[in-house]
Amino acid sequence: MTEPGRTPWIRTLRSRLTAVLVVGALGAVVAAGALAQSGKSSLIGKLEGPEVVTDPAKFPRSLKEAPQLAALVKAGKLPPVAERVGQDPLVIKPLHEIGKYGGAWRGGFTGPADFWNGYRCCSGPDHLMFWDYTGDKVMPNLARGLEMQDGGRAWLLHLRRGMKWSDGKPFTADDFVFWFEDIYRNKDLIPTPSAAMAINGKQGVIEKVDTHTVRFKFPEPYFMLPDVLAGSTDLGGQWSAYRGMGGFAPAHYLKQFHPKYVGEAELDRKVKEAKFDSWVRMFLAKNDWALNPDLPVLSPWKTATAINTATWTLERNPYSVFVDTEGNQLPYIDRVVLTLAENLEVVNLRAIAGEYDFQQRHIDLGKLPVFIENQVKGGYKVYLDPGDYGGDMIIKFNLNYDADPEIAKWFNTADFRRALALGIDRDQINETFWLGTGTPSSVVPADNNKYNPGPQYRKMWATLDVKKANEMLDKIGLSKKDAQGYRLRSDGKGRLRIEIMTLGGQFVQFTQIAEMIREQWKKIGLDLVVQEVERSLALKRTAANEQQLGAWNNDGSEHLFTFPLHVFPFELAAVATSGPLYVKWFHSAGTQGKEPEPRMRELMEKWKKAFGVPEKERIQLGKEVWKIAAEEVYIIGVIGMGPASMGVRVVKTNMGNIPSRQYNSPDGKTPGISRPATFFYKK
Amino acid sequence: MLAYIGRRAVLAIFTVWAISVLSFVIIQLPPGDYVTSYIAQMASMGSVVTDEEAQNLRIQYGLGQPIYVQYLKWMRLIAQGNFGMSMEWRRPVTEVIGERLWLTVVVSVAALILTWVLALPIGIYSAVRQYSMGDYLATFVGFIGLAVPNFLLALVLLYLGFVLFNAHIGGLFSPEFNDAPWSWARSWDLLKHLPIPALILGLAGTAQQIRIMRANLLDELRKPYVVTARSKGLPELRVITKYPVRVALNPFASTIGYTLPYIVSGSIIVSLVLGLPTVGPLLLKALIAQDMFLAGTIVLLLGVMTVIGTLVSDILLVWIDPRIRLEET
Repeated sequence: MTEPGRTPWIRTLRSRLTAVLVVGALGAVVAAGALAQSGKSSLIGKLEGPEVVTDPAKFPRSLKEAPQLAALVKAGKLPPVAERVGQDPLVIKPLHEIGKYGGAWRGGFTGPADFWNGYRCCSGPDHLMFWDYTGDKVMPNLARGLEMQDGGRAWLLHLRRGMKWSDGKPFTADDFVFWFEDIYRNKDLIPTPSAAMAINGKQGVIEKVDTHTVRFKFPEPYFMLPDVLAGSTDLGGQWSAYRGMGGFAPAHYLKQFHPKYVGEAELDRKVKEAKFDSWVRMFLAKNDWALNPDLPVLSPWKTATAINTATWTLERNPYSVFVDTEGNQLPYIDRVVLTLAENLEVVNLRAIAGEYDFQQRHIDLGKLPVFIENQVKGGYKVYLDPGDYGGDMIIKFNLNYDADPEIAKWFNTADFRRALALGIDRDQINETFWLGTGTPSSVVPADNNKYNPGPQYRKMWATLDVKKANEMLDKIGLSKKDAQGYRLRSDGKGRLRIEIMTLGGQFVQFTQIAEMIREQWKKIGLDLVVQEVERSLALKRTAANEQQLGAWNNDGSEHLFTFPLHVFPFELAAVATSGPLYVKWFHSAGTQGKEPEPRMRELMEKWKKAFGVPEKERIQLGKEVWKIAAEEVYIIGVIGMGPASMGVRVVKTNMGNIPSRQYNSPDGKTPGISRPATFFYKK
Repeated sequence: MLAYIGRRAVLAIFTVWAISVLSFVIIQLPPGDYVTSYIAQMASMGSVVTDEEAQNLRIQYGLGQPIYVQYLKWMRLIAQGNFGMSMEWRRPVTEVIGERLWLTVVVSVAALILTWVLALPIGIYSAVRQYSMGDYLATFVGFIGLAVPNFLLALVLLYLGFVLFNAHIGGLFSPEFNDAPWSWARSWDLLKHLPIPALILGLAGTAQQIRIMRANLLDELRKPYVVTARSKGLPELRVITKYPVRVALNPFASTIGYTLPYIVSGSIIVSLVLGLPTVGPLLLKALIAQDMFLAGTIVLLLGVMTVIGTLVSDILLVWIDPRIRLEET
């Protein structure tokens, strides 16, 4: 570090691996001034969004529809709009104004696995309940309402009368029963029951009450169910295609691919004809909204040409139940056209060139200056949507690492973890990689999050204090150093060297940031080895308990209870792990794996308990979970509440009802939380 | 002559078989399998895939079986003309590759023709007029072409294309023609997009071929038979084209073996950068996702093309160079 003012840019240049960034960075140097002038504040606006209207008095009296649908009705090819929408429309008050019909929304995607681009905005299995724009409150969505019974042991889900699938067939309680009996309980389709359908490890059931009412029944109170239905969970819709989850499915369509409803011989013939390996593969492929244009959906748009082609197109669902406050059936925009980009650089360049109307996913924060520079030319505006989670980048200690007892010992020493956290110069990292748009932070979520334990936890063990870090390390028994100033192991086997595992090609440049931390930790005498690995290898190593430190983000953790995997060891299949043996212990109720230390156990118990208690008590438990996480530093928070993960949004200036800031989270399937069905083209 | 070709053909069949084994082994080399990479992908999106589910997936995909069983199954499928199902694209491999193969061939053949059209005359010129201004210029440009990595060139051209001409970024078609059925308008659109990828892909090859042509021709030009031909009074053009150029073409013919697979795979990085819908990026993604059948089929395809290419160049050599023909008979 020579000249503090210049260092970040030099760092930026050095850290760029791809050549386009060298080109981009030339522009970046030019635009750096522009960024400094426009500042962070003008890019991050006020959190806002459309609202769901639940008061029937405010419902529109009559319904209107897009011109091309009106033409079809006139030609007798489609029933009238009132019949299609049904008696209980889902009324949404657009953010700014009533829009106009028409236009095609151009965006990009990177291949058949990148279904998120269409899922988050437009289609797929929509949620029964969903968040309001603040991401805080659960509102009715596809379901008309949710009613608690029997002290939380049962929940009545009220469906909308007359609501239909995109092929015009009614959406009823039978679709839930079909899912529960024939998909969820079919061992070939779903070998292990989902935790989302259980409370305290005890599975619940789904029953039909009448055509428009469904009951979820659980052996113990399950107060969390509304959040689970609204969140990105097994009941939150999105895993239907890949894993057969979802809570409901179009029974009338899928029965033809299910062994219970067609003969085995006929099913075999169908599987062979379609060249699938098994009926399960075929069933899941048929149940994939992005892959199979024939699959009936409930979302505003539906797939017209599949995701495994060069252009993935979605068109308006004529049976969409969404309407605006004046009774216009949503969506306003006719079609969504997502073009295949072979790599992320192409996505970014196309966005810079103004070839996308609205793109958020894959937009690289590191190129922000270039985006700003080309705003006028490309006819777009850049918005930043910082996340509410505490870590755009976090570092997990693998508390179960046992290949080297010395390292295992230090990882399980709280002061060692805390000292390492104090050795990170977060401001330098923030300036270099987040261009100053992030917040140096511990792992706790944003201050306005209901589970945030209090302002004093933001900076807890999350400031730069080299002196204190050194003192702490000296005190715990790591005072001896070698000639280069690195601390020596206490077992006399040379230098204490620890490894961090990173993944390349992610939204955040983990490897480059880890390299910077490596330099910073030299000042506390710690020798860090940065290892970038391919993700399959990372997964294999974490599962085999071979990881020491792992870098990742904790996006989603602001919804502590629906997205806990970056708060404590919750999941085996992780690219960064806090302890695979604790995961086993947690999920096997203590019969397998390894029992965690008392504080970790306390954290786990509080988290688990929260599912079965009323909201007020749950919020208290959530705060306590975060308190323990921040105090014990099982995970180091580096930079948080920044826009690095899908938080840079490029939107054409002629698009209307665009929020200046939106809640950015996987749970909110941003921009889904801003109701893209209300977006429109002003001209 | 026939026996010669026959022998080569039999050898070729064996080689193809060996390649099929090798390509299958190569796909299995990295740690994990498609299910691991699938779990990783799910995990990075926050979804839990349990051990039982993973096990189930392995059974469904037949990944749990010993490798030779998997290989035999694959071979049996291929014998029926079915190359398997791409796990990631969830479509038959032949469909996934098929639509891209033609575009790949178009781009690469364009690059190849460009290479030869430029390289042969320039190479001949700089050999015949050695140390002239033109030779120096060709050498200079040639070395730059060799030294600049073509993906970098691609990036620079993309950026300049956007900044200066507001050109569409990447791809082989304008957005409106992406999925359109083939028509004159679409072909014309393709032609308009072709020059830049062809130029970038062809440039390094051009530089190389110029150097090879020049060096070979220089060797030949100094040989006594050229002097003899001149002294007998043959016109200069005829002296050069009839014998030395023909001999100097030898290496061109013998490299066809590598040129054919290059047509498919040589463009991986450039295609990735330029966003071309060709086979290259497909192979890369398939390898990353460990999409076994897709990657295996492409690697096999490359192998087969190398073998066919070698066979073709063997035959061409016999045809161009009488000396080889004489040795054989």
